[in-house]
Amino acid sequence: MKGMKFSFLCKNKPQQTGKRIAIIGAGPAGLTAAGYLVCKGHDVDIYDKLPEPGGLMLFVIPEFRIPVERVRLGAKELEEEFEVTYYPRTKVMEGDREDEGDEFYERKIALSELIEKYDAVLIATGIWNVRRIGIPGDDLEGILSPLELLFWIKGAELGYVPKEKVPKLEGKRVGIIGAGLTAVDTAFECNRLGADVTIFYRRTIREAPAGAYEINILRNRGVKWFELVTPKRVIGENGRVKAIELLRTRLGEPDETGRRRPVPIEGSEFQVELDYLVFAIGMAPTPPVNSSYIATDRRGRILVDSRHMTNFEGVFAAGDVVNGPTKVGRAIKDGLYAAVSMDKWLRGES
Amino acid sequence: MERKVLYLDYLTCIGCETCETVCGFIHDNNPFIKIYVTENKQYLPINCKHCEDAPCLRICPTEAIYRDTEGAVRINEKRCIGCLACLQVCPYGVPFYSLKVRAITKCDMCAERREEGLEPACALMCPAEAIHYGPLEMVLELVNERRAKNIPEHQKELSAEELRKSILSGYVIL
Repeated sequence: MKGMKFSFLCKNKPQQTGKRIAIIGAGPAGLTAAGYLVCKGHDVDIYDKLPEPGGLMLFVIPEFRIPVERVRLGAKELEEEFEVTYYPRTKVMEGDREDEGDEFYERKIALSELIEKYDAVLIATGIWNVRRIGIPGDDLEGILSPLELLFWIKGAELGYVPKEKVPKLEGKRVGIIGAGLTAVDTAFECNRLGADVTIFYRRTIREAPAGAYEINILRNRGVKWFELVTPKRVIGENGRVKAIELLRTRLGEPDETGRRRPVPIEGSEFQVELDYLVFAIGMAPTPPVNSSYIATDRRGRILVDSRHMTNFEGVFAAGDVVNGPTKVGRAIKDGLYAAVSMDKWLRGES
Repeated sequence: MERKVLYLDYLTCIGCETCETVCGFIHDNNPFIKIYVTENKQYLPINCKHCEDAPCLRICPTEAIYRDTEGAVRINEKRCIGCLACLQVCPYGVPFYSLKVRAITKCDMCAERREEGLEPACALMCPAEAIHYGPLEMVLELVNERRAKNIPEHQKELSAEELRKSILSGYVIL
């Protein structure tokens, strides 16, 4: 297998400009930006809180979709051929905030320190927080975050997470709320580990973001698909999940996304017994600030101008931390075009 | 020069759009490779197959379409009169008339990059390893090596015969 070639625009390391760039986040956006910038002769350092570069591609997305080796060899090529320096297990943060995947970092650096040390900074920290649903009982033991569950499973296979940390799912009833790509990936992994999986979705399979094709593969394997239901509360026993209470829904008028809005039907409550419950209802951006130091919108996404520059001159941002959760290719696109802007800005062209 | 194949493995594609992104990046925001999404969200990357027996190459009245030494079906822009005959016969509707170039344009397997010793960008960057570029035997091996890592439902082995057929005249195997 060959690695992704993030430096696809050049063959060798060109003459150096002497400019130093810090990239925060070694996911698809950060690595692709690095690939472009090294081809333009800049010196790139990449900071990431995880033990190895690759981000969600390496630690969360299942192996059958993006093979570990594909990402690993790509990151290695940047290091060996283009002298990119990685600072793994290093969280960059101005202020304090707990995110998922934080157990991996050993060092913390302030964003302001990097801004001082480098000629330009790119923030590509992605979406390492999971949206909470806010219903009674959603903090019971046995409720798992999809991100955590997926990176425990993959992290254990990569040797970074002790095997005991991965819940023993064999024969266990796992409920998954949501029908996006994360929900489906969680279902594939739990099914592979022998769990009895049920997916609950508030609309129908036609509206499911992950699509009927993949959901039907799961159904053919015995995964139960429950549509037009929405969770009302989680029922516990001795502090642990025992069941979920759901309400049936019907589809009403289209909402701002153009999909018909699910309307809960009063008095339609029913319960399904479960051992584990995963709320895969979306992920939230995790910028390396928790103040107005770098401007974000009310959903936590970093605000950038047409040059991908933040409100701070010389600090750029790209990928999911700007756009919210999207596809790998969109993060790559954002990283690539942000890198073009950074190179222009460093040359004094914009 | 050795004949090369650019093979898009539909069974491995995850629809992430990286190929479209990098192709558009090096072609003025007009990607030649495109992801077609079915209503049930199956992803099919569509691109020129550089068919062994290419209908476009046969039909072109001005012989503006030719095959280069590595097997890519290319357009000689100076000879193209914009009659769109190639578009009509292409099983994929791939050729695209560019007002800017004033000729038919399409994937040329990154001809400019190949001259500099670089491989097609889509194949280099696909995170899923669904796009393979190289001699036929090598591509066959890489496709099957990758499919083996896929979910059991998508692990079907690609035979040399199927691969040959698929690049002969655009025949697709799903």
